[in-house]
Amino acid sequence: MTANKSDRVTRETAATRHVGFTVNGQYHEFRVGSGGIEISPTHTLSWTLREVLGLMGTKVSCDSGACGSCTVIMDGKAVLSCKVLTIECDGKTITTIEGLRDPKTGALDPIQQSFIDHTAFQCGYCTPGMIMTAKAFLNENPQPTEEEIKDALSGNFCRCISHYQVIRAVMSVVEKEGEHGR
Amino acid sequence: MKQFEHHDALSIEEAVALLSDYEGKAKIIAGGTDLLGALRDEVFLEYPEALINIKTIDGLDYIRSDEKGLAIGAMAGLADIVKSPVVKKEYQMLAEAAYSVATPQIRNMATIGGNLAQDVRCWFYRYPRRIGGPMVCLRKGGKFCSALAGDNRYHSIFGAAALSDISLDLGKVRKGCFAVGPSDIAVALIAMDASIVTTKRSLPAELFFKATALSSTVLDSDELVKEIEIPKLPMGAVQRYDKFTLRKPIDFAVVSVASMLTLNNGVCEDARIVLGAVAPEPVRARKAEQVMKGRIVDEDVALEAAEHALAGSSPLRMNEYKVEIAKVLVKHAIWG
Amino acid sequence: MGDDYRFIGKATQRRDAVEIVTGTALYLDDLRFQNLLHGKVLRSPHAHALIKKIDKSKAEALPGVKAVLTWQDIPDWKGGTPRKLRVLDKKVRYVGDAVALVAASTEEIAREALDLIEVEYQVLPAVLDMDSALKHGAPLIYDEFPGNIIPGGTIAFGPNCLKGVVMGDVEKGFAEADVIAEGTFGYENIPNALPPEPVGAVAMWEEPNKVTLWSTSQAPYMDKGTLFHVFNRQVEIRCIGNHVGGSFGTKIMCWQVQAYAVLLSRATGKPVKVMFTKEEHMAAFTLRIGSRIHARVGMKKDGTLTAIHGTWYVDSGYYSFTTQAQVAVGSGELMIMAQCPNWDLKNIIVATNRNASGSTRGFGGQELKCSFIPILSLAMEKAALDPFEVLKKNYVKPGGGYFWRDGNWYQYRGIDYSAAMDKGAEQFGWKEKWKGWLTPTAVNGTKRLGIGVGVHGNADVGEDSAEAYVQLDCNGTATIFLCAAEHGTGQKSNYAKLVAEVLQIPLDRISMTPADSLITPFEFGPVGSRGTYAIGSAVINAAEDVKRRLFEFVAPKLGAEPQDLETVDGVVFVKGYPEKSLKWRALGYDRTLLGHGRFEPDFTVCNCMMSFVEVEVDTETGKVTLLRVVLATDVGQIIDPQGLEGQLNGALGSAGIDSAIFEETILNHSTGHILNANLMDYKWRTFTELPAMEHVVLETPMPTHRFHAVGVGEVATSPGPSAVLMAVSNAVGSWLHEYPVTPDRVLRAIGKVGYSARGGKK
Ligand SMILES: Cc1cc2nc3c(=O)[nH]c(=O)nc-3n(C[C@@H](O)[C@@H](O)[C@H](O)COP(=O)(O)OP(=O)(O)OC[C@H]3O[C@@H](n4cnc5c(N)ncnc54)[C@H](O)[C@@H]3O)c2cc1C
Ligand code: FES
Ligand code: FES
Repeated sequence: MTANKSDRVTRETAATRHVGFTVNGQYHEFRVGSGGIEISPTHTLSWTLREVLGLMGTKVSCDSGACGSCTVIMDGKAVLSCKVLTIECDGKTITTIEGLRDPKTGALDPIQQSFIDHTAFQCGYCTPGMIMTAKAFLNENPQPTEEEIKDALSGNFCRCISHYQVIRAVMSVVEKEGEHGR
Repeated sequence: MKQFEHHDALSIEEAVALLSDYEGKAKIIAGGTDLLGALRDEVFLEYPEALINIKTIDGLDYIRSDEKGLAIGAMAGLADIVKSPVVKKEYQMLAEAAYSVATPQIRNMATIGGNLAQDVRCWFYRYPRRIGGPMVCLRKGGKFCSALAGDNRYHSIFGAAALSDISLDLGKVRKGCFAVGPSDIAVALIAMDASIVTTKRSLPAELFFKATALSSTVLDSDELVKEIEIPKLPMGAVQRYDKFTLRKPIDFAVVSVASMLTLNNGVCEDARIVLGAVAPEPVRARKAEQVMKGRIVDEDVALEAAEHALAGSSPLRMNEYKVEIAKVLVKHAIWG
Repeated sequence: MGDDYRFIGKATQRRDAVEIVTGTALYLDDLRFQNLLHGKVLRSPHAHALIKKIDKSKAEALPGVKAVLTWQDIPDWKGGTPRKLRVLDKKVRYVGDAVALVAASTEEIAREALDLIEVEYQVLPAVLDMDSALKHGAPLIYDEFPGNIIPGGTIAFGPNCLKGVVMGDVEKGFAEADVIAEGTFGYENIPNALPPEPVGAVAMWEEPNKVTLWSTSQAPYMDKGTLFHVFNRQVEIRCIGNHVGGSFGTKIMCWQVQAYAVLLSRATGKPVKVMFTKEEHMAAFTLRIGSRIHARVGMKKDGTLTAIHGTWYVDSGYYSFTTQAQVAVGSGELMIMAQCPNWDLKNIIVATNRNASGSTRGFGGQELKCSFIPILSLAMEKAALDPFEVLKKNYVKPGGGYFWRDGNWYQYRGIDYSAAMDKGAEQFGWKEKWKGWLTPTAVNGTKRLGIGVGVHGNADVGEDSAEAYVQLDCNGTATIFLCAAEHGTGQKSNYAKLVAEVLQIPLDRISMTPADSLITPFEFGPVGSRGTYAIGSAVINAAEDVKRRLFEFVAPKLGAEPQDLETVDGVVFVKGYPEKSLKWRALGYDRTLLGHGRFEPDFTVCNCMMSFVEVEVDTETGKVTLLRVVLATDVGQIIDPQGLEGQLNGALGSAGIDSAIFEETILNHSTGHILNANLMDYKWRTFTELPAMEHVVLETPMPTHRFHAVGVGEVATSPGPSAVLMAVSNAVGSWLHEYPVTPDRVLRAIGKVGYSARGGKK
């Protein structure tokens, strides 16, 4: 190995690397390492959320990027937390299912309420991921068509086939928002 | 995942330097959607010592257009490419190819550079370590490609990629690897005659995707994709990207076809037709292109071209259907 | 319809709704334990091999590793039917079979330790499918099962467990037939019901012989029974259920992962969690059974069946636990749909060197029908009969009957489902669309439309005993003691509704105990279609029982007879004299009342589901698109409309309809590896490809249930696959007989592709 590399590597490790990011409005900072409360370079965001921050609402099903159940919102976009390294989240703003309630009143997000009203779940395992995907999508596109909603949710696995009820739940939020807008 | 070191590169130069420091034992991580899966399942013959994060390099995610054409930074996200007004308007084949990739969430994370450099998706190669894997295929030090004796419904219908980069003789090589090139975008880029600019060279997409049984591209282990350049497309060029899958979305192509036809009063002046997922690398249907030139495009021409496009194919035991589907896709590319 | 209920039939919020939408519903992997260790499984790379040597010293030496167990380290615990499969054995029988178990302080260390275990195998020839397993002189997977044939029958269904159907005189039946069809057809793509949550268990061992288990199972009390035998009847077991991330019948049997956790906890004295990864879930947990039938069917010109004769070959994978039960139930279910006086239907259960089959929604009946209906279709084609009419005609009706799983004959005393079928056909437009066999409904250029129909019903709506308690408190609340874990059907909420209806108290006054075998009485588990009828009846009986006790207690105080009393909202009053009342508070703060409810198995009723499907086939690419599904059923009384809708939509998921379109477990025929054990290569239906879905639900009161209801959730998946096969065959004008109808098969059927190694044998 060249001298250069050790230079570069020491530059990083000696300065004890830190990673800091905001989850549901709260800032967390971790030291990089392999100790108990440290973040290992191999940790995925879903792991950190669940095992370190105790935010168990984010579900891991495939752990391979193929089912959407681990979806969280990062800097406004729906991403798969099983395919994000925690160490690469420095400076990010993350919202998980636990962060959707109104922090002051504790009121449910309209999407959450609509999922309840339409029983848009059966086993519920896919639900947090569905809701987060829908939430990010509606933030970006508050007045979508039904086809657009289907497209936005097309990466979310639901084996109980709650799709039809989910579509109705999301559409009803869209319609209500539309009424308020008028 | 097994342990690795991790570095945030702040510049391309630093990323390249880190790569060469690790002497081939480090990997670039861009969106991570492909790489992290491969690490989790321990599919690489050699587990990398380190990951070099290039998301920390500023200014690599541009999508710029000028009179010469379109320039896309390697870190441009697939979702951004799909949404880009100029791509949608002038390079819709690229927008379609990018949109056809994976799922909305993955497109939010994935980059175009990562898409071009992604590893193959063969199910023998990717067989997870922890349930009785790995399957020792040619890429993993085995003697033969597992697809020869195994379930090869999704594998190449145009022969194999040889272990070393002796030029690929379509349809002839039986000893190499039958995995197909995975990238949807690669197919479109070749059809658009794009160039790939790396830290070492700039070369036509067609030469960039030269597959061996070890890699789907010519990238060296210390080489980075920097930019993709697409020349302005000819006026009136008809572009199309068509991808056949068992269901949508998520799936990799069973067969895909990217095409660009330049027509003048119904007469074909130029044609570029590229088939994806039929061979270790995208296959340019040169014969098909030739038979069309100068002729009025109609269904017969389309059928004739489709026959030519698949003329050299030699399907494996279970994938003759891919030949048929590829013909249909070529036909539709030319004639509705 | 019928009675006017206060809760039943009304749309109400699921009890766990807020938890589910806020991410606070706790599934197994969300539970936290002190000092928890993590368990991992080393799995075999060979489909069939003997373990010559295992060296675990390096793994044991790795810091953080607390236990490494091999077959030499564990007691002789066995499962399966018959009980022949050790939890760890010196032989491995499929790619992925468990070789060793590791417990360590973190998952990462446990995984690293797996790599340090050195195993020497003596590879044996493998039998990957039924043909090779049944060949003369084939290698034996178990010495105890000559010819790789697993003995039929399960003691769980009694000494006369149904092993086949023999009645009447088949020769006479064939002599009376106007048409006879014969063939060999299969449903051998062993699809995976694939609930989103992988399977797992946490065990906490207490010396000398006690264990507490939390698992992904929806049937904790059944686990207690199953494991009691697996652990050689020497361990005292307490099973606790939590939220289950989908089951579709599969998670009622998690004995292996449970046993791994128990063994590791026993070895370490600490709680141990073993959570399968998705690929383990898909490659090392159970699949549907493989089904193939060779049979002859005799039919009269008017569609009356005269004889059914044949052999059902059942591929169980490397062991069987529930297969015999599925064979019994599946055979009975075939009789329900195919009323016929003369039968000789045998079966053979075959062991093969692939991952095991197990319980799945449709439980044998779906698998059998998917293979049988293609033969029936040949007969119907010969007689030029409309399949809808034939299926309707031959479905069991009052006065008909069938053998059921215990080997007894049951006279059917449910309703005639013809009305629901007719309604379904009308909604679908069957009469207008049906153009005859192998004839498309419409042709639009290269696209062809076709329709198909299937039917399924199940008499295990009333299977197995169930028990529940309901406790009343003087403050006007009630608590249900029931061992049922919520796995997505919403049944827990429905049970609360039933109790609310009986006791006439608001839903929020009702609590439920966790599903904990230490607290609750016996409950078999929400399996088959028994949730509404069997479990529901036990709950209702418990509520009625406690109401009776309440009235007996209050009656003297009101100077009335118990039978003259009524209660609403925590107030007991004399019927017709509301002023003569007492609040439940009259019980006194120091008293609770407990009612006990039991349900005794009853096989005289069945449910019914008919599926109509319309598909579009692209004759250029061979792609099949599901356009429309109409499900027709009669539920007696809707308990929860939204829950019911979800259950019926479930027809598309859990290895149902789509197991005819693109779902299959792809077993590499040269090595035995499952190649698509991931959520990308295993195809599942997405939001962008939803067919139009319509339900026709009648409510003809069921005389046998307190609220006249019968469960149908389970059976939604089952009639679909064969209906799709029928529809695609009709669309393209030639028979397709293999599942799923992927493009390669369609193109072969229409002659565009020649030879294909895939399913091209027949
Ligand atoms: C469920 C699922 C479905 C998918 N479906 C499709 C599909 O339909 N079509 C398709 O094309 N792909 C598909 N993919 C693959 C998807 O990961 C890629 O399309 C994606 O674009 C990769 O980009 P990335 O930025 O995430 O790459 P990464 O995972 O970060 O990198 C991939 C590889 O490229 C290398 N690399 C990354 N950037 C560069 C660079 N600038 N220069 C040199 N090397 C680089 C990395 O070292 C790594 O080896 C799918 C993936 C998943 C998980
Ligand atoms: S768990 Fe992350 S996509 Fe499936
Ligand atoms: S509700 Fe069970 S998977 Fe979606």
